[in-house]
Amino acid sequence: MDIRELQGYASFFMTIFLVVMLYWYIVHLYRSEKRGERDYEKYGNIALDDEITSTPVEDKPASQRDYTEKNK
Amino acid sequence: MFFHWLEKNPFFFASAVSIVISFAGLIEIVPNFSQAARPIAGLKPRTVLQLAGKNVYMKDNCMSCHSQLIRPFKAETDRYGEYSLSGEYAFDRPFLWGSKRTGPDLHRVGNYRTTDWHENHMWNPKSVDERSIMPAYKHQFTNVADIETAYAEAVTVKNAFHTPYGPEFKTTRAAWEAHRPKVIEDAKKIAADMKNEGVKKMLAEGKVPEIVALIAYLNSLK
Amino acid sequence: MQSNATLEYDYSLAKKFTFLTILFGILGMLVGTLIAAQLAFPELNYLLGEYGTFSRLRPVHTNTVIFGFTVSGIFATWFYFGQRVLKVSMAESKFLMVVGNIQFWLYFIGALLATISLIFGVTASKEYAQYEWPFDIVVVLVWVLWGINIMGLIGIRREKALYISVWYYLACFLGIAMLYLFNNMAIPTYFVTEGLGNPLHAVSMYAGTNDALVQWWYGHNAVAFGFTVPIVGMIYYFLPKESGQAIYSYKLSLLSFWGLMFVYLWAGSHHLLWSTVPDWMQTMGSAFSVVLILPSWGSAINMLLTMKGEWNQLTDNPLIKFMVLASTFYMLSTIEGPIQAIKSVNAIAHFTDWIPGHVHDGVLGWVVFMIMAAIFHMAPRMFKREIYSKKLMESQFWLQTTAVVLYFTSMWIAGITQGMMWRAVDEYGNLMYSFIDTVAVLHPYYMIRALSGVMYLTGFLMFAYNIFKTMTAGKELTAEPQFRTPMA
Repeated sequence: MDIRELQGYASFFMTIFLVVMLYWYIVHLYRSEKRGERDYEKYGNIALDDEITSTPVEDKPASQRDYTEKNK
Repeated sequence: MFFHWLEKNPFFFASAVSIVISFAGLIEIVPNFSQAARPIAGLKPRTVLQLAGKNVYMKDNCMSCHSQLIRPFKAETDRYGEYSLSGEYAFDRPFLWGSKRTGPDLHRVGNYRTTDWHENHMWNPKSVDERSIMPAYKHQFTNVADIETAYAEAVTVKNAFHTPYGPEFKTTRAAWEAHRPKVIEDAKKIAADMKNEGVKKMLAEGKVPEIVALIAYLNSLK
Repeated sequence: MQSNATLEYDYSLAKKFTFLTILFGILGMLVGTLIAAQLAFPELNYLLGEYGTFSRLRPVHTNTVIFGFTVSGIFATWFYFGQRVLKVSMAESKFLMVVGNIQFWLYFIGALLATISLIFGVTASKEYAQYEWPFDIVVVLVWVLWGINIMGLIGIRREKALYISVWYYLACFLGIAMLYLFNNMAIPTYFVTEGLGNPLHAVSMYAGTNDALVQWWYGHNAVAFGFTVPIVGMIYYFLPKESGQAIYSYKLSLLSFWGLMFVYLWAGSHHLLWSTVPDWMQTMGSAFSVVLILPSWGSAINMLLTMKGEWNQLTDNPLIKFMVLASTFYMLSTIEGPIQAIKSVNAIAHFTDWIPGHVHDGVLGWVVFMIMAAIFHMAPRMFKREIYSKKLMESQFWLQTTAVVLYFTSMWIAGITQGMMWRAVDEYGNLMYSFIDTVAVLHPYYMIRALSGVMYLTGFLMFAYNIFKTMTAGKELTAEPQFRTPMA
């Protein structure tokens, strides 16, 4: 198998892989909102409420967070 | 969950972005490198004088208005000559294809323009056609071309990239001093077809005017 | 948090970079207007002897607006909103302040010297990568310092979630770093010989077709990571903040981000259609350019929909006008680009004035408008004064909008006219026009373009004057405005 052929396979499978990832990501975004794990839209408030004294939208580091935030 | 730490952890995020953006380069560019680097049969590297001319071409940034790439269309091959081949550029560092034709393509200009034509044209483009919007490059008739740098470039590409220059091309100053008369001799051959007195005077003093080097380069574009 | 009661955001670096943005903006656009006029009136080539020809000045124009104006704008906005969305002040870290100041001075001096070097013809000749190797090293240093600042600020942040704009700025940092390093690989000839020749001269590591591929992989994506990615990041902060409306769909912004990251890099080879690079690469570049419409429009539509229900703001807040027009031009140029990347269209468009036309509806309409809007938004917060004149802002908006429209329409016509004339044949199959015929016919369009340049430059000077008066004579504010920028 020469390099051109290898390149062809690599390109093909990597593209498929990334496309699957992208669609999986869309599913992930909506599913985790539906299950109440996450509310993505609240992150939009980071820009609106950005005084240094305002309460962060998320103030715990990722490692200490339990992924069951309650949506209102 | 995989996506959660990707969104929160700057390090993983940065790695993910790097992988995604370098993918295209890896697939598109890297594997083709050895293929595209192969010169066509009989391709000779440019002489030191022509290299110095190429550097004048770069210094005055001729490629902002002139391309060196003939595309495979009848209209282009009729106008400029045979379409360009990858192997013809194998020794061009950098490539000088340009991206805009405010003036015509120059990839084969050596086939249909002469030293005399270039001399008139570079001195005053409007003398060739009064509708020309190209500026005159009179300073090239008095500026001295940097042939020593051109020599250093030839030696560098010979050592680093195996460009086929002869064994007399060495990194030492002595080798350069030995090669210098050859460059002056080449320049005098070009100047023999020119009428500008200042150019001839400079050459007699052992200095190569930029215009001579540039014309040597343009004549080599075939 | 009680301890933060007296803590404030530190805008000193944002201010410094704002001044540079305006300075380099004026310089770059002045040179741009001059070279546009040179094409219409060639006598203007002789104002500065050998240093004033079109060919010498074109890279001065492109590099000053890219690495001077746009990059300063990116730095200025980063040092403004970076703190705000991470909810941490630069003043909290002496180290980051010092690094930021070193970055500023190194950048300022480096950019000035690099510009001068281009005027003197010291150039590596690859488009938008003309700086010779010593200046490349300065660029890399500045970039590394900026990287330290981004990572440092992220490291001490209070807001643990990274806002989408931070994503875009991080991508800008990484993308430019990768592209710039690979494209500028060169060997300085002086140091590998016995000190022969000019120490500034270097020879590219790549040759011919390879060099072209690397260059346009860089050239196209310098546009991606310099003119698109950070500007999208900018509008995702400034538009919601100015209008008081959260991003229409945060999920869509995340999705378009990854889409843009993946697709953009492939499109570089559309600059090399019909050249000597392999056909499959050209086709790939062409196809991915068309796919690129999706993530680009994803972002643009998201911006426009952010204004949903609040379109009345468009009529009474000129700042919203600037940003909405910017997104509209973003949509226009991201549909125009893919059209030009179709191989048959490219056969006519390539090498003609349609290409500069396309570039300029993107940069004049999108990049410059967005950066000016960002500065208008930041100025009252940085200087604690109202914007000096709303009227001036309105007239600037209309003057510059007209200028952009004149610019791209004239260049579309010029480009397509010339492209068609190059290939026109008579009934016997002979070429109908000599090259110079196709140059002479462009004269009126070059005049219109030069005029539009003068108009746009005038608008930019009005902007600079407005900001200057805001700093010195604007009505003082007692409290920082939350959303809408106050203006007199």
